[in-house]
Amino acid sequence: MSARTLTDGQIVMRSLRARPLSTWITISMVATSVALLLVLLGMRSAARGAFDRGSGNIHLLVSADPSPLVAVLNGIFYANSPSKPISWAKYQSIRGAFPYQWAIPTQQGDSYRGFPTMATSADFFGKFEPVAGEPWKLASGRFFERPFEIVLGAAAAKGSGLKLGQQVFLTHGSGASREGGEPEEHAGHEHGEFPFKVVGILEPTGSAHDRALFVDLESSWILHAHDRRERAGIEGVTTSADLEDDDRKVTGILLRLPTRAGSDASAAMQQQFDTLRRDTAIVVAQPAQQIQKLFEIVSNVDGIFIAMAVVVLISSALSTMLALYNSMAARTRQIAVLRVLGASQGRVFGLVLTESLVITMSGALAGIALALLGGIAASAWLKASIGLVIDPSLDPRSTVIVLGGTVALGGLAGLLPAWRAYQVPVADNLRPAA
Amino acid sequence: MPASAPALAIRDLRFSYPAASWALSVPHFEMAAGEHVLLVGGSGRGKSTLLQVVAGLRELGSGSVEVAGTRMDALRGAARDQARGRSIGMIFQTFNLLHGFSALENVLAALMFSSMPAASHEQRARTLLSTLGIAAADADVDQLSVGQQQRVAVARALAARPALVLADEPTASLDPENTETAMDLIQSACRAEGAALLCTSHDPAMRARFARVESIDAMIHGGAR
Repeated sequence: MSARTLTDGQIVMRSLRARPLSTWITISMVATSVALLLVLLGMRSAARGAFDRGSGNIHLLVSADPSPLVAVLNGIFYANSPSKPISWAKYQSIRGAFPYQWAIPTQQGDSYRGFPTMATSADFFGKFEPVAGEPWKLASGRFFERPFEIVLGAAAAKGSGLKLGQQVFLTHGSGASREGGEPEEHAGHEHGEFPFKVVGILEPTGSAHDRALFVDLESSWILHAHDRRERAGIEGVTTSADLEDDDRKVTGILLRLPTRAGSDASAAMQQQFDTLRRDTAIVVAQPAQQIQKLFEIVSNVDGIFIAMAVVVLISSALSTMLALYNSMAARTRQIAVLRVLGASQGRVFGLVLTESLVITMSGALAGIALALLGGIAASAWLKASIGLVIDPSLDPRSTVIVLGGTVALGGLAGLLPAWRAYQVPVADNLRPAA
Repeated sequence: MPASAPALAIRDLRFSYPAASWALSVPHFEMAAGEHVLLVGGSGRGKSTLLQVVAGLRELGSGSVEVAGTRMDALRGAARDQARGRSIGMIFQTFNLLHGFSALENVLAALMFSSMPAASHEQRARTLLSTLGIAAADADVDQLSVGQQQRVAVARALAARPALVLADEPTASLDPENTETAMDLIQSACRAEGAALLCTSHDPAMRARFARVESIDAMIHGGAR
């Protein structure tokens, strides 16, 4: 065991331990501020990450919505049911006009207990990936293979409580079905004649698709053809044989352009985007671009939150300064004694500055731990409750910046108390107390 | 320290507080290595001020102060602090121990500014404390009796093997019996360490303990030696 000595670090720690309440409160304030700032920064990137999920390997999204942003919000995030359809002929025309890797038709509009339904083709599960590089995975069952089979997103399955083999009646529109117990005026009408059988439940993808239910297009067309026939007074069960061209509608087309091997980008992207935009009957969106636009819209609010967190952090630095500065009044004798023993003014200055840095560094590290633990807990809860996948890890760049900024603030906060310690008149503070 | 250097040599010292009506003036004062001197004088006559000037805690107006061959007045800032830490030990009436630190750490605090190698600090501190009768070296000084606290203060003053110990009214708050005990301790410890002792007191009974007694008044008015 090495011989004991007294070091500057031990003197600093003793000084902090001599006033535990003040020290812990100040460290807690710094920790809370740092955690708040990191959580806000983390939420910003996590939210961005969550929005980036869902459009997956789509290059272009076509719909008849009023704008490309609305097309993305409706078609990928299920914000609302698209109000205008695209005819099947139009879909075929678009698909045939260019050698797309795939062109997947989708139709939205129905729902089950508030969970939106997406009617689509088998390619939706076979070719489209909700998150690029992460294909669909089944938690149980299989994908739909024939009409009136339904596959549930992870959050929809959890929220509805539906199990494999159960029957589901979809509701026209976004209102809840009768089983949902919604007031009649808020509910769309139920397609009671056409039960769907739950054949598959998907693994969570961390995207809005987790809240959806998936059926094949023909089933959806039959439901709406049946409504048309009822309105026309035609009785009997509607089948695919009863479908007319006007029944075959879609509300969106997911497009992927040819790419070079190993690349997600397509050289034809801009040209094809411009070509499709010339068609005034449709809108065409590049999902990534629209998501960027969405974030630009909310970035001001985002900035206000970050600014508030920075203000809280500065407040905690000011508290550190006040706590240390006020402690100086009670520590002038200790400082004078250290000076008598041989400590220079600079060394005393350094000791007090180090105290400030220890407080803020401890607070910053505690804040990082707090943010990390909070992130893990929140991430687990979000995934379990709504199937939202949020990466709980802290952004290393933000963490280093916040840590460095906090320590720098701690250094600034320590300057005034350290200067006061530097100026302590030694001889005057060695006299017996009055 | 040069072999022949006095523990303390003051020449033509002049010091006054701003706006004070009196000035401390010491034309010549010298203490041999290991010599014990009692400095007497009434309260407010400048005894403590002289010790502070010698320790370099106050700037003298003119003259020189040499401690163990080092001109304290010629040094500035950290260099003077370092010289004080290495050459001078100070004992105060109220001990001025570092509260919240153990007896051992109080002595180690003096050693951390000394020229002694760090590896020897603990042994040096424990030996001193043991010699001065402190068994509980790791006890917080606030848990020690007044007598024990004074022993810790003496140990701390001697820890860096200073050439000169300045004791400022070390027994002013003690009764006669404890005064005897405390002075026995301080003087014997200084002798054991070979340190010169300049002790101030306004207690006439202290004169008998010192072979050399100087009056602050005499120093001001004509110089000692």
